[in-house]
Amino acid sequence: MMLKREQNNMSKYDLPKKFDHKDTDILKQFITETGKIIPARVTGISASNQRKVTKSIKIARFLALLPYTDMHK
Amino acid sequence: MNKYEAVIILNPNLSSKVDEFKKDFEKLLSDNSFKIIKTEDVGRRQLAYSITNHNKGHYILFNLEGDPSKLLEIETKIKYNESIIRHLFLVVKEHVAEDSSLLIESRNKKPEISSENDVSKKEVKIEAPKKELKEDKSDDAKEGTE
Repeated sequence: MMLKREQNNMSKYDLPKKFDHKDTDILKQFITETGKIIPARVTGISASNQRKVTKSIKIARFLALLPYTDMHK
Repeated sequence: MNKYEAVIILNPNLSSKVDEFKKDFEKLLSDNSFKIIKTEDVGRRQLAYSITNHNKGHYILFNLEGDPSKLLEIETKIKYNESIIRHLFLVVKEHVAEDSSLLIESRNKKPEISSENDVSKKEVKIEAPKKELKEDKSDDAKEGTE
């Protein structure tokens, strides 16, 4: 018997066709209040999408569009 | 030939000299046989964290086309330009013709800046109900006298 992994509601995230480091509103869905990237285990989005999200969040952080942490002075 | 997307964050204190900087930068790019396909002047923006004690930065986005070997020369010149707080060149497969969300955001924010001028109007509005209150009181007083 196959056990299926429970799938979260995909509709709770707005996923664009193309991820961009400038779309901070979309990327903000995938970081916690402290600025950490939410793991794929929690987000439930596909692995390839999760990779794209993490990459664009990291670029956005470098460009000071998103915080690395909430401890910035 | 590679396609590039460049983001440059300028010192916010030099915001008034942006046009000069743009001219210089475009010259630098054209000297290195770089093609400028599109520029977006996003303007001043709050930084998520302070970079070299600046809390705001002037963002400019470029869509470029050029040789990767020449890019190194450009980057060495950018390094010694003190007006640039941070820069990033990204290789992209295809350029996005549409306006970036940053530019749209800044456009939406501009009316808010004008709304700062409306603060005085708001204050007037606040005053107006007070007068009404006073009138109400006077009405009450009148009722009392009646």
